[in-house]
Amino acid sequence: VLAGYPWDSEDEEAVLVNNKCQCVTVTSKLVPSKENPEEEVVERNIRILVPLQARENISDPLSPLRTTFVYRMTELCRKCNPVEIELGGEIHQVQQSTSCDVPETCYTYNRDKCYSSTFPFLYQGETRSIQAALTPASCYVD
Amino acid sequence: MTLVVSILLLALLPAQSASSRYLPKSASNPVFGPWQVYGLLNGSVTITCFYPPTSVNRHDRKYWCRESGSSCRTVVSTSGYVAAGYQGRASITDYPESKHFQITISGLTEADAGSYQCGIGINGRGLSHKVSLDVSEGPHIPEGAELFYVELHSTVSMTCSFGKEAANERKFLCKLDKSGCRNIIDTYGNVDEDYTGRILLSNEDTPGSFSIMITQMGWQDSGFYLCGYGAYGESGETKELDVHVYERTNVPQGKPTIIGIKGSSATFECHYAPLRSSSLKYWCKWREKGCSRIIDSSGFVSPLYEGRVTMVNNPENKTFTVILNQLKDSDKGYYWCMTEEEKEQQSSTELKIIEGEPGLQGQKDVEAQVGSPVDLTCSYPCKYYSYQKYWCKWSSTNCTPVPASDQRQPGPDVTCDRDNRTIILSFDSVTKADQGWYWCGVTHNGLLGETMAVYLAVAEGQSDGHNLEIEKVDAPSPAETGGNPQGRAFSDAGVQSAAGSESSDQSQGSSTLVLSLSLTGAVLLVLVTAFAIFKYRQLKRSDLVSVGSYRTNISMSDFESVKGYGASNNACVKENEETQMGGDEFITTEVTPESAAETKKAKRSSKEDADLAYSTYLLTSGTSTQGDPKEHSTAPEVPPPTWQGQI
Repeated sequence: VLAGYPWDSEDEEAVLVNNKCQCVTVTSKLVPSKENPEEEVVERNIRILVPLQARENISDPLSPLRTTFVYRMTELCRKCNPVEIELGGEIHQVQQSTSCDVPETCYTYNRDKCYSSTFPFLYQGETRSIQAALTPASCYVD
Repeated sequence: MTLVVSILLLALLPAQSASSRYLPKSASNPVFGPWQVYGLLNGSVTITCFYPPTSVNRHDRKYWCRESGSSCRTVVSTSGYVAAGYQGRASITDYPESKHFQITISGLTEADAGSYQCGIGINGRGLSHKVSLDVSEGPHIPEGAELFYVELHSTVSMTCSFGKEAANERKFLCKLDKSGCRNIIDTYGNVDEDYTGRILLSNEDTPGSFSIMITQMGWQDSGFYLCGYGAYGESGETKELDVHVYERTNVPQGKPTIIGIKGSSATFECHYAPLRSSSLKYWCKWREKGCSRIIDSSGFVSPLYEGRVTMVNNPENKTFTVILNQLKDSDKGYYWCMTEEEKEQQSSTELKIIEGEPGLQGQKDVEAQVGSPVDLTCSYPCKYYSYQKYWCKWSSTNCTPVPASDQRQPGPDVTCDRDNRTIILSFDSVTKADQGWYWCGVTHNGLLGETMAVYLAVAEGQSDGHNLEIEKVDAPSPAETGGNPQGRAFSDAGVQSAAGSESSDQSQGSSTLVLSLSLTGAVLLVLVTAFAIFKYRQLKRSDLVSVGSYRTNISMSDFESVKGYGASNNACVKENEETQMGGDEFITTEVTPESAAETKKAKRSSKEDADLAYSTYLLTSGTSTQGDPKEHSTAPEVPPPTWQGQI
């Protein structure tokens, strides 16, 4: 009965980076070292999915195809979301990284954000600029 | 034609301890469902799949697809597609408010058995859950596990029912792992240390049934559990439970730990469901054998906690607040907020006690004579300067506010004066009915803050002659003013104890004053001299530590490489599901051994070489993966999202 269960093969693998914007995940786990099997070392797995059909500007489908993808560990490991910590009995919101003001260039869509663009729409001889959703599922108001 | 290339890189680093704060890999798949479903030939089967109720998940396409090779062919989806061969016997329904969707397949045949996926979005993108469908002749099929989809930090309540034979047996809950079933809790009082304080096992009314409640659900709590009676592997029966924890971003969570200062007070906030605001609520302390009730909304207060605890109900915010003061070391532990109905609303908090100075100070025990005036003073620190302060009389049902004076002069000043920071509750003529507990407290923005409790004991007694000895320090002596005690309703007490003792000795005259002043001066002088000598000696003895004695081999180039690969294990905050651009298919190429060695070696030398090697690799692999994977595409079901098709 136990053998039939879908066990996670690596149960101690921790997720360090899960960057939705550039589509990179970094996980780490402890493995026996190759030089000395008695010792355990940290092994990091970096998984990058490169969207080859992405545009230079993901909000503009008419921009050219992106051919250069740059991944920097410092940018990926940045923790810009404020977290709460307790100091002297009071809660404070703190941000753990510096240079968080630099905007990130995204290579792919963030599922929780709505991306839309305008395009020329020819209707009854008239061309109008219409807004259309690039990611319809994310663009609902509720 | 859409191509996506994925690359796996390995980097080896010296060992660091892995912190349990980081999300385990299992946390990154939020879609949850049964891993095994059993069906009878010609029968039907229903599969329930859960997902986090974010806006995008609720509106996105849900699908049920059959795995074939490395892709997954859609069987039925909420876009309206039903595969050939499943017409009329497969249906899918989404219940976005209940955060799940259901797939029903009827008319099962042996060919239907296999590996499927239920998911959200686009097939094969990873936002899915693998389900294995087993079709057998029967007549009996195994019961699948009961699914629990629980939000992070919330509470799960699981009920297991067996027959009467389980009534007097040992009941237990254990967690399945590779080596067996680890006992979590049982009716003999054994509790696993990871679950201490946050799990309760209680018997239900029907014999043989019991329920288990676990609060503060964390990522590590996901997994398979068995609840049963008897002993695992030896006797009795078990039922399977499959629990999965998901995270919903942007939802504020209750504090799992509260730190209280010894002698001060702690405030616990308990949330409850809107529907059952009239049910009985109670607050209890966790013990290995159950939860001992301390206070409840019917007015019951445990005798051990008399005068120490109060409960305030706030129906608009759907919370009730419990304040516990006069904290002692023995108060540390886990406290649960419970309601009679709505088991999912129970929550637990851990209380830790630390040494420190309470903010509100004052005399805790006051004795007075019947008929005499009494002042209860409570001094507050500057941090409560702008808070609302109050005095209230404690009773087992609530603490009723009593009008008191705040010594701070109301005015446009912004500074916090060292003196005059007291609130005084005065009695012109105290009676026996005034005996009891009085609380001094602060509130800020509607949130209840620190409190301090004072016990006023009123004794029968004679008046006049005995007043001077019996009255305690903060009752002003009548001899001092010589006037009507009633007129002295609001005295100006600065630092209260010193003022009190001085005023009672006023009759001795100024000689005592001079004596005490000179004594204090002498003591101060001695202290200052001692301190100066000590500091001088320390200066002489201490070594001037030179910066050079520490290893500081910092150079600019180190900054470059350290930033690149030496970044410590900082986890980025988990966000929701990932989105891929483009079409439906993935082409996965494994890094071939020699190029892997190449890239690894290149990395070790310099970053520029690594970039070069990587771009060369991309160029070579780009040419090799030009094959068109049309035979695998699931194109008939939905056209790949192209630019024109979105109106």
